[in-house]
Amino acid sequence: MTTPDCEPNCEETLREIGSFLDGEADVSVQEKISVHLSDCNPCMERAEFRRHVKIMVRSKCTGDAVPPALEHRIRALLEEPPAVS
Amino acid sequence: MAQTAAAEDPALRERFERDVLPLLPSLYAAAMRMTRNPADAEDVVQDTYLRAYRGFAGFEEGTNLKAWLYRILTNSYINTYRKRQREPQTVEGPDDIDEWYLYDRLGGRNVELSAETEVLDRIPDEAVKGALESLPENFRLPVLLADVEGFSYKEIAEIMETPIGTVMSRLHRGRKALQKALWDTAKERGLVDDDDA
Repeated sequence: MTTPDCEPNCEETLREIGSFLDGEADVSVQEKISVHLSDCNPCMERAEFRRHVKIMVRSKCTGDAVPPALEHRIRALLEEPPAVS
Repeated sequence: MAQTAAAEDPALRERFERDVLPLLPSLYAAAMRMTRNPADAEDVVQDTYLRAYRGFAGFEEGTNLKAWLYRILTNSYINTYRKRQREPQTVEGPDDIDEWYLYDRLGGRNVELSAETEVLDRIPDEAVKGALESLPENFRLPVLLADVEGFSYKEIAEIMETPIGTVMSRLHRGRKALQKALWDTAKERGLVDDDDA
C-alpha cells in the first residue's frame, strides 16, 4: 500500500475520505479535511480519484431504456380505479 | 377508502402523474441493478407503482418523495423477488480488499491523474453496471442508493430499514468490492496491463 503518511492529518483525511466526499462527515472534520486537501497534493489526488470513481459509476449505471410495454401498463394504472385489495 | 383515494381524487391523480411518473426511468434502472434482469425489474417496478398509487393519499406532500418511492421499490424487491430467488444472504464481506485498491493499481505509477481516470472512463457502461451487479446484495444496495441515486446515509437507513451504522459499514465494504470488480472488468477488457500488483 502506498499511502502518504506524512502527518496525522493525512491519516485522518484518508480514513474519512468516503464520508467526506459524501458530505456526511462531522462539520468540524469536513472543514479540517477541506483545509488539509488544499495543502496536501498526495491526499488531494486520492480524493479527486475517489470523487471521479463515484461520478463515473453514477453516470454509467443509469439510463436503462424503459420498456414501452411497462410504461404503458403503468400509465394504464392511472386510467382506472385500482382494484381494491 | 384510502387505498383508492388517488383514483377517486382527480387532484391527487394529477399530482401522481406529475411527480411520480417522471421517476420511472430512475426507478427502472435501480430495479435493473437490484434484480439484474429486465423481466424481474419490470415486475418490481410495476408492483412499486401499484403500491405507490394506492398509498399516495398517505404520502405527505412536501416530504421526500424520491426516498418514499425507493423505500417502496426496495420493499417490493425484497418481498417478492428475493423470496423467489432464495438468493443466499451474503453477510461475509470483501474484507481483504484495500481501501485504495483501484488507485494503487491505476495510479501510484507516476502517471497523471487524468491518465488514471481516463482508463475508468473507457470502461463501457454495461461493464460498470455488471461490476455493480456482481456485488452481494447487502453491499450492492447501499452502493446503489448512495453512489448512483445520491441518497444520504440517513435516507438509505430509512429506505433499507437498517441502522445507519450498518449502512455505513456496508457502503464502505461495498465500495471496496466495487473497486475490485471495476479493476477486474478493466483487466478482462484489456484496458489495463495484466500485471496485478
